[in-house]
Amino acid sequence: MKARDLLYETASALDANRGRSLLTILGIVIGIGAVIAMTALISGIKQSLVGDLGLDQARMVEMYLLLDRQTSFDDYNNLVDYMPEYETLTIMAYGSGKATSATKSVDVSVLGVLPNYPDVMGTKLTQGAFITPEDEEAGSLVVLLDQSAVRNLFGNQNESVVGKSVQVGDATYAIIGVVESSASREGGRIYMPYSTCAARITGTWSFDSMSGLAASDVDMSTIEKTTKSKLGAYFGIKEEDVEDSFYVYTMQSMLDELNATMAAFQILMTSVAGISLLVGGIGIMNMMLTNVTERIREIGLRKALGARSSDITKQFLLESVCLCISGGIIGIIFGYLGAYALAGLAGSSITQAISTGETKLVPVIDIRAVAFAAGICILIGAVFGYYPARQAAKLDPVESLHYQ
Amino acid sequence: MLPVIDIKKVHRIYESAAGYTHALKGVSLQVQRGEFLCIMGPSGSGKSTLMNILGCLDTPTSGTFLLEGVDVSQLTDDELAELRATRLGFVFQSFNLLPRATVLRNVMLPLIYSDCPVPEREVRAVKALASVSLPADYYDHRSNELSGGQMQRVAIARALVNDPAVILADEPTGNLDSATGEMVLKTFRRLRDAGKTIVLITHDPEVSEWADRTVHIRDGKLFTDEQERALVAAHPGTRSHT
Repeated sequence: MKARDLLYETASALDANRGRSLLTILGIVIGIGAVIAMTALISGIKQSLVGDLGLDQARMVEMYLLLDRQTSFDDYNNLVDYMPEYETLTIMAYGSGKATSATKSVDVSVLGVLPNYPDVMGTKLTQGAFITPEDEEAGSLVVLLDQSAVRNLFGNQNESVVGKSVQVGDATYAIIGVVESSASREGGRIYMPYSTCAARITGTWSFDSMSGLAASDVDMSTIEKTTKSKLGAYFGIKEEDVEDSFYVYTMQSMLDELNATMAAFQILMTSVAGISLLVGGIGIMNMMLTNVTERIREIGLRKALGARSSDITKQFLLESVCLCISGGIIGIIFGYLGAYALAGLAGSSITQAISTGETKLVPVIDIRAVAFAAGICILIGAVFGYYPARQAAKLDPVESLHYQ
Repeated sequence: MLPVIDIKKVHRIYESAAGYTHALKGVSLQVQRGEFLCIMGPSGSGKSTLMNILGCLDTPTSGTFLLEGVDVSQLTDDELAELRATRLGFVFQSFNLLPRATVLRNVMLPLIYSDCPVPEREVRAVKALASVSLPADYYDHRSNELSGGQMQRVAIARALVNDPAVILADEPTGNLDSATGEMVLKTFRRLRDAGKTIVLITHDPEVSEWADRTVHIRDGKLFTDEQERALVAAHPGTRSHT
């Protein structure tokens, strides 16, 4: 029996039972749909985190120093030399104050940053330019506002504000640029040179947080450990206290956290999928057994006309596999549609909950997930179709020809 | 010349919960090439069992069956299937066509089990349909749209399509009215005139008149026409099935 004959027989048999076939594959559709929707959403979330803003955030590391002593700018310079595994290393100082424009006044957070801050954080400007080394050197009275601050101080976040001035605390600063807000903030945020911030806002050069961009040849899975031990060695922390003295946060640990959050969701969807596939498989077996009983005479006839037992087995096995595959195809389509619908409904809240960004959540069509789903369908079709197919093949031609 | 069918002292004993049933008791029969043989017998006489053995759907418990000189009892199930696909043609009382398939597809059905090249299939099917005089406009009809006589002619075409050594017909006119039945029998007759070997089973004496030779089966044993007549004459109480 040739392959195309088998396919023809399968197609015409399925076509004859269209309504019943559709009902039978519902379990497979739901199971595969759940698997696909789940993987599409999860990889979509991961991608929206990792592939952010054109910057390889996967290489970004945040460090918080929980030390008893003050740090100095010299410590920063020394650490840059001491940790060559970082391509760029930057420090930040946090303060706050009341910002006042010509018309409005609002409480803002103030961030003292170095000129290399955008290299690490991937900051994007909508207007103007960032702080220059000269500004840092001179402690110039220049600031950048984020879009929230612009909105709060000037009414519209697209207002052209470069060249205008804003008063923070007891000094007046020239606005040199506007930073894109990753999320809307209360009040807003103002960036100024680290030296300016130290002199006028925080009153100290001490820093307690750093951010670094790891060099591209560094293994991200171990950088958290090496960074902690290097910082411990630099600041002379006892080995047993190192773990509690520094908090090192990488994109990798963020992804790990995400995976933990997703685990519950994943378990739920996997059990839905597993149960539907099992029930679907049993449904397929049930339908195939009914099919065999209904077609006993046809089987007898085929045997009388020269079909071998293996031809009959193949025919019924292929029928159940094709049934499952068509269920799988419909399931894949519904799965992606469902993922897009979910992303539209819950996408922004999911991304907000797990990242700072307001990035759009786009489900990812993963060819491996599709291949996996197809494999599962073939397996289910073969496993649950085997018994009915063997029952058909074992029928005695004489008895089945005279079956009423 | 080698007979197409040569069975010698064939016994067939069925084993069932009710015990043993001795359906064939030492049957011997030869059928020559080009012969139209009729096997007559009442129900329960063993004629279906004999038909199943001749059709290689069943094998004898003892005895030999040579089909074109090949000892069928030595063959495996797959070899029997191949024999059915290439050397035997079946015609059934209830036609046994696939109702959803077209006439052409029904006739081509045996060819998918005999490794016939695809381009050749339709040619052979059309040839077979022409030899049973089915008009060409019916070829694309679904078989359940045909009348009984047309269905049986399609079934005969299906039996012919592999150019078998013998066509086995089991009560081919049983489900047809007498006029249509006669048309079907004429078709067999014409095929026999064209050199085909035909074995037909019936309980209807009128049907047997179309055959070259008739044998009778009774309680698992075969009798010639003469023996049957003598038997009926000797035992007037025995109701002849004729």
